Amino acid sequence: MEMLYHQFKRRVFGMAHRIVGPNDAEEVAQEVFVRVFRGLAAFRGDSALSTWIYRLTVNASLSHLARRGRRQEVGDETLVDVPAAPEVSRDPGLAARIERALVELPPGYRAILVLHDVEGLSHEECAAILECRVGTCKSQLHKARARMRELLGPIGGANA
Amino acid sequence: MTCDDVRPQLTAYLDGELEDDRGSAVRGHLRGCEACRTAADAEAALRDGLRALPSLDVPATLWARVQAELAQAEIADAEKPRWRRALARWSPSTWVTPRFALASGAVAVIVCVWAWRYTHRDLPAPQANLMDTVAHGVVKTPRWAPAPATGDQNDVATAIAALPKDASDEYATATAELVALAQTERTTWPEAQQKQFDAKLAELQHDIITADEGRARHRAYRTLIRYLERATTRAEVAFADTRGTP
Repeated sequence: MEMLYHQFKRRVFGMAHRIVGPNDAEEVAQEVFVRVFRGLAAFRGDSALSTWIYRLTVNASLSHLARRGRRQEVGDETLVDVPAAPEVSRDPGLAARIERALVELPPGYRAILVLHDVEGLSHEECAAILECRVGTCKSQLHKARARMRELLGPIGGANA
Repeated sequence: MTCDDVRPQLTAYLDGELEDDRGSAVRGHLRGCEACRTAADAEAALRDGLRALPSLDVPATLWARVQAELAQAEIADAEKPRWRRALARWSPSTWVTPRFALASGAVAVIVCVWAWRYTHRDLPAPQANLMDTVAHGVVKTPRWAPAPATGDQNDVATAIAALPKDASDEYATATAELVALAQTERTTWPEAQQKQFDAKLAELQHDIITADEGRARHRAYRTLIRYLERATTRAEVAFADTRGTP
């Protein structure tokens, strides 16, 4: 059980953190792991274990946001402890700006950006986690990135 | 290729998901269009920025919290009555599969169709016919009165009465009343016609018994009812080989 926890803790916590924000990330991650361990016996193996766990994470995060209400989720003070990216390409403040813009996105866009772009999952994996078609997944990613570019403004000297 | 064609494909192009010819076309457009190139640069920078976001440190307290909640949940499980634990094992999340849901849906549709057809089945209006008959002033015995001619006929009537009580009840009631009417009329007929009537009645009643349950039996009932109506109201000659009034 502990091995499973250590295998998935970073991704589960990371996804929860970037979807619900830092204040509630631990609570959501805790809820996810409790569900995982209590539901493991009933896991039918219809999908990969990782897909099932990430699906629980995304669903728990989105449900948490729906319960709490978006407006309360993140204030400026919650972004202070976001660590800076170890390597920033052309825009030194880009990581912090991206974290800030992420929380302004609608939760659905946030989920696809976190899964595909932050966690590096394939469209097939994202579609399985979000329980949608691959085409829908691609289209959502395109819209999510476009919205992010609007929120971020010029990036690295490029105008959106 | 125009900017409007290229913009929706930028995400797929930057992620290397466009096939060779489409990728080449987008690349060709980007070489000559500064606006699209700027948009592509911005999206690429965003994508790289998202990919470069640091992995977050997991709070050291998380594992302890998970364990504590699991322990709490196990204690709560132990305090649950046995029937609630059994119910939890059979909760829908553990056994509802897409196939099960599909099968349940199909059964529900079949039941609905059957119920609709049952409630809209093609029934005659025996009550209306009887009312017409009553209007003629000849109804005297409202209950089933089997033809007395032969022992076989009594057996047939008993057999009809013993048929399963279902939607055929309305037919059985109508038939009983018309047979009673016919018996009254029968006494006024010549003996030969009485015999023919008895034979025909026995034949039609036999058809009812031997017919399959459901529509076939309903059809047999309707044939008998039509015959009896004709005989009792003298609307037409009731006997195949006897012309004139019975």
